[in-house]
Amino acid sequence: MRTLEDLRKLYAQDIAPALYPLERERKRILRKFISAAAIVVLSMSALAFFLVPASPNFGVFSLILGAIILAFVYQWLIKDYTSDFKTAVIQKIVTFIDPGLAYSKHGKINRSFFSLSGIFRQRLDKYSGDDHVTGAIGKTRIEFSELYTACVERDSRGRRHEKRIFKGLFFMADFNKDFIGKTFVLPDTAERMFGHVGTLFQSMNRFRGELIKLEDVDFERQFAVYGSDQIEARYILSTSLMKRILDFQKKTGKRIYLSFVGSKLFVAIPYGKDLFEPRVFRTILHFDPIKEYFQDLQLAIGIVEDLNLNTRIWTKQGNR
Amino acid sequence: MALWIFIIAVIAILLIVIYNSLISKKNQVENVFGSVDAMLKKRYDMIPNLVSSVQNYMQHERGTLNELTELRAKALSAGLSSDEKVDLDNKLSKALGGIMVAVENYPDLKASQNFLQLQGSINEVEEQISAARRAYNAAVTSYNNAVEMFPTNVLASMLSYKRKRVFEIPESERQNVNVQDLFNR
Repeated sequence: MRTLEDLRKLYAQDIAPALYPLERERKRILRKFISAAAIVVLSMSALAFFLVPASPNFGVFSLILGAIILAFVYQWLIKDYTSDFKTAVIQKIVTFIDPGLAYSKHGKINRSFFSLSGIFRQRLDKYSGDDHVTGAIGKTRIEFSELYTACVERDSRGRRHEKRIFKGLFFMADFNKDFIGKTFVLPDTAERMFGHVGTLFQSMNRFRGELIKLEDVDFERQFAVYGSDQIEARYILSTSLMKRILDFQKKTGKRIYLSFVGSKLFVAIPYGKDLFEPRVFRTILHFDPIKEYFQDLQLAIGIVEDLNLNTRIWTKQGNR
Repeated sequence: MALWIFIIAVIAILLIVIYNSLISKKNQVENVFGSVDAMLKKRYDMIPNLVSSVQNYMQHERGTLNELTELRAKALSAGLSSDEKVDLDNKLSKALGGIMVAVENYPDLKASQNFLQLQGSINEVEEQISAARRAYNAAVTSYNNAVEMFPTNVLASMLSYKRKRVFEIPESERQNVNVQDLFNR
């Protein structure tokens, strides 16, 4: 287990020197972006100035057009910078946490695994992700990446809009016991306020099998468990694993989703922020963002330890 | 007139719903008890295998091994009440636990591939038995609630359904957990 002290050393020796050229690049991009923004604002104001007398709608139109152009310019400007940054920093942190792990900045968890997990049942119209990490921790094979998935819906006026299904970190690992059925451990929304999340919850749970009432009261308060087999679900969710899942959930401070399918464990941790992306509007010459990348990575990689997946005292042995 | 038919219909539907929920709860209990039984049987099936693979090493534990074999024979004989079954099962768990702890004193045995595999299977069965017991207790709790709570209790007493006992987690069971801790759980 790597500590923050170790990370500080790595930062001083390895990461910081690589950050100087990147910081210069960042400043250059920022200057370009500011001039691009100035040009766009000026030309859009000119456009609005001439067209608004014809119809006030053109005011809104030029505002939206300007925003779209700026968004494209921004993406185009930071593309290489982001890529270089990930090679110089994220790659290093991943290898630092465990040299056996491989990192791919453009890779992502295979879509079929996301579907297999069965955690989110909505139709997948959009599936994207990056920062894919694969490898083995001890006897357990793991894989995770950042994912963004959404479905496209039409509202009553026929307009298409994207509805987010999941955004965050999606983790999968080889589970240490064999099983054939499916078990889902989902945040228990029924006990909280209903509303948008409540309806989402209900729409998700129609085909998940029986509700499984477990004896751990704290666990029941946080999670609702569904599964294809009452006994198998308890075989997987031993009393010790329930406690470990609870502790892990507290550690993340988030509403996590777990599923056990095909002898695999899937964990979905929702994040509001974009993970493992470099700062553009603030300096990157600072330890804090590095610490944040490290902690986010460590959280996922630490699942093996936190949920005790390397304990192979049953018939299923690990594979390296 | 129409009102009376309506009231009778509502009562009839309520009765059917209550009756069906009681029956399904009772069946669930029986169903899960069957699984517990099946898991226990799986464990009995492993005992001869265990005994034959360890007896050459474990000279000092002869007595425990014999006891294990006898207990298994008893457990498999027909016509046991469920209380007797539970009792035998507890003794068997204890003896099995004793053997698994004693293994620590025999490094050769502990290292043998054959034994490691067996140990894995036994741990797995223990975990499955524990899961089945917990499932049984959950089913019994839900059944007992129905038998004691209004309005299902009215129908339950008419059908002379009685409370069922849950598996108490006996002292030996707690020891089981400790045994597994020894294997760096």
